[in-house]
Amino acid sequence: MRQPGTYSGMLSANMAGRVGPHSLPLARIKKIMKKSGDDVKMISGEAPIVFSKACELFIEELTKRSWMVTMQGKRRTLHKEDVASAVVATDIFDFLVNLVSESTTANNVTDVPEENVGTL
Amino acid sequence: MEPMDIVGKSKEDASLPKATMTKIIKEMLPPDVRVARDAQDLLIECCVEFINLISSESNEVCSREEKRTIAPEHVLKALEVLGFGEYIEEVYAAYEQHKLETMDSLKGGKWSNGAEMTEEEAVAEQQRMFAEARARMNGGAVAPPKQPDLNPSLES
Repeated sequence: MRQPGTYSGMLSANMAGRVGPHSLPLARIKKIMKKSGDDVKMISGEAPIVFSKACELFIEELTKRSWMVTMQGKRRTLHKEDVASAVVATDIFDFLVNLVSESTTANNVTDVPEENVGTL
Repeated sequence: MEPMDIVGKSKEDASLPKATMTKIIKEMLPPDVRVARDAQDLLIECCVEFINLISSESNEVCSREEKRTIAPEHVLKALEVLGFGEYIEEVYAAYEQHKLETMDSLKGGKWSNGAEMTEEEAVAEQQRMFAEARARMNGGAVAPPKQPDLNPSLES
């Protein structure tokens, strides 16, 4: 019953990208949800299930975009700079820009485009 | 080598299990590709941040609807608002699938119309509910039809 959406189809042209039986632990997800804010409401038992799937899709997208950067550099090892590049290049990943630039600054990495730095 | 997520922020105490995440990540890539450990750590952090983001928005959606419990529908709405609308189809399908699988062990749940459903019927039912949910999310612009043999073609 699982069909890739049109979007993920574009990115996973020749990769068997479907996740196996592993899925994320619901209790852990719930814990993270509770810590996400000061005034978080009660969480239905079903919400973490939805989150689990959304996270899979998110990781899939981020991983594959990072991988595309790796391939452009003609490498076979995905490095965190590739993840950072993918984040910077994707609008909906804007919320991650600070997170990845914190990590990569520690390792003296360049190549972060000017427009996306210092948006605060 | 210390993982970089121990920075003393109390909000980051809970993280996702590294082994599971590593497997998921590797499964999405061709088998001969390596993932540097720092990249793995970063992907995990990004995922946690993603949960934070969607959680916050879900919380707000829930408040706006004056409900006290964050329900899957609030999460789906949050995904849409934050630009992850493309995930909604698969997420909802997985959610419905999970419900069906859970219902399997409880005969005579409210999804069965007297007789047990065949897989086709279950799939049609799933798509009907799915279309209804999408209509609800579109602000009721399209009234969800109630007839059982709804044309199962979906817009993508």
